[in-house]
Amino acid sequence: MLKLIGACLILTACANFGFTWAGIYEKRPRQIKGLEGALQLLETEILYGATPLPDAMEEVALRCDSEIAGLFRETARELRKMDGSTGGEAWQRALDEFFPVTALNKQDVHILRRLGSSLGISDREDQAKHLKLTKSQLAAAASQAEMNAKKSATVYRYLGVLSGLLLVLVLY
Amino acid sequence: MAVNVCDTIPEGKKNCTMVTLISREILPVLPNRIKQLITELPADILDQLEEIRLRQGKPLLLSLTRDDVMVTEQGQPTTVAEFGYVVTDKDLMRAVQLISGSSIYAFEEEIKNGFITIKGGHRVGISGKVTTDRGRVKTIKHITSLNIRIAREITGAADRVMPYLINPVTKKFHHTLIISPPRCGKTTLIRDVIRQVSKGIPALDFKGCTVGVVDERSEIAGCYYGVPQKDVGFRTDVLDACPKAEGMMMMIRAMGPQVIATDEIGREQDAAALEEALNAGITVLTTAHGKDWEEIAQRPVLRYIIEQGIFERMVTLGRSKGAGTVEDIIDVSSGKSLMR
Repeated sequence: MLKLIGACLILTACANFGFTWAGIYEKRPRQIKGLEGALQLLETEILYGATPLPDAMEEVALRCDSEIAGLFRETARELRKMDGSTGGEAWQRALDEFFPVTALNKQDVHILRRLGSSLGISDREDQAKHLKLTKSQLAAAASQAEMNAKKSATVYRYLGVLSGLLLVLVLY
Repeated sequence: MAVNVCDTIPEGKKNCTMVTLISREILPVLPNRIKQLITELPADILDQLEEIRLRQGKPLLLSLTRDDVMVTEQGQPTTVAEFGYVVTDKDLMRAVQLISGSSIYAFEEEIKNGFITIKGGHRVGISGKVTTDRGRVKTIKHITSLNIRIAREITGAADRVMPYLINPVTKKFHHTLIISPPRCGKTTLIRDVIRQVSKGIPALDFKGCTVGVVDERSEIAGCYYGVPQKDVGFRTDVLDACPKAEGMMMMIRAMGPQVIATDEIGREQDAAALEEALNAGITVLTTAHGKDWEEIAQRPVLRYIIEQGIFERMVTLGRSKGAGTVEDIIDVSSGKSLMR
């Protein structure tokens, strides 16, 4: 009886592991797409509203996908401190804080970091150009992430359940 | 009898307000290194500070009331250029970003005009490489010089002149022209006159009246996102960054002011707008660049305005006893000085 309970536990643990892993793969394209949308909002704020960066960031945080709102809210908070740091630095700090709680990988973060160095330092048209560039890079990353997710998510789900079964068989 | 408006403020209080003003409003827009250097300066230098000049590859320069001073790497004042802290391109880039709140794109119009007004109403002049579009300034690309002008707000600067500007019988404010060379406290004075006219002066039995300020260069009210950063009274409406002539007409049409105040008239349209204001029964308060009224009368537009007998009082400022010295107040109708 005890053995049976143990086997069940092992099986659920492994399956869970596989599903979580698959979940991360599926989260990444979703979050990249959310970022794309958020940057589109930011572009609108800057290009048509000429909204100052802290306000623009807050506005985006309110309206974008809740999973990534933290990045923009944090940037706005850093900017409002007025501690002598620039928009780019506030963005980098917010990224450092935000990155670990997301499913984004290093390349995605690199794209976002590059945006930081040009944030708020030029006129509207130039800002829009930088934002467009970042968006197109994110779009490429998203389609790649989606392909990965399709392949990997199923694989990891199976892998989780099957490795659980294997472990149970070996130990039984 | 010349008096200095700064004398009306107790010495100790002046010191402390200036230092807190700088640390609260000026330091946040400076890059860390320069911020640190300025923080370490003795209070008597900060008290005299009028401008902070950042020029790429040149020593950091502080313009004081009488002369200017540089700062060594150790934060000591010096007059030897070689010892002064040299402003780097990074410093300038950071300063520009901090001044604009990391939103240079939000200040395109301001950059075209060559200055940005920061929180607290201080003006930052900008120069560098200009890009043009069909002969008009489009933007300043590589910003290589900044001039941060600290806008002093001396509440009570106009105390000594107000009795001469208000008719003791009718209790009405006179049409007034303030004449002053640059950097003699013209804007400080007109701002305080506006404040007092707007609030009212119980001591003179003068009730406050509605004032319309057309602040073309954002200096009088020092607006930051349209909100006056300086105390201009609670019966005052400000048209910020608005061309004078047009702004005066807008005010007359819509805001019903009893007094219209503007800075530095001199163009033909200004004269027409002034006449329009007079016809509407509005009192005019304005300033002009110059030493005295003889010099001003050399300029056609100003001479025309003076010959029309628009102004009833002329106040001349100078530096004979420091910035903000009221040299003379003239009653235009009789041509007599009221101060002697």
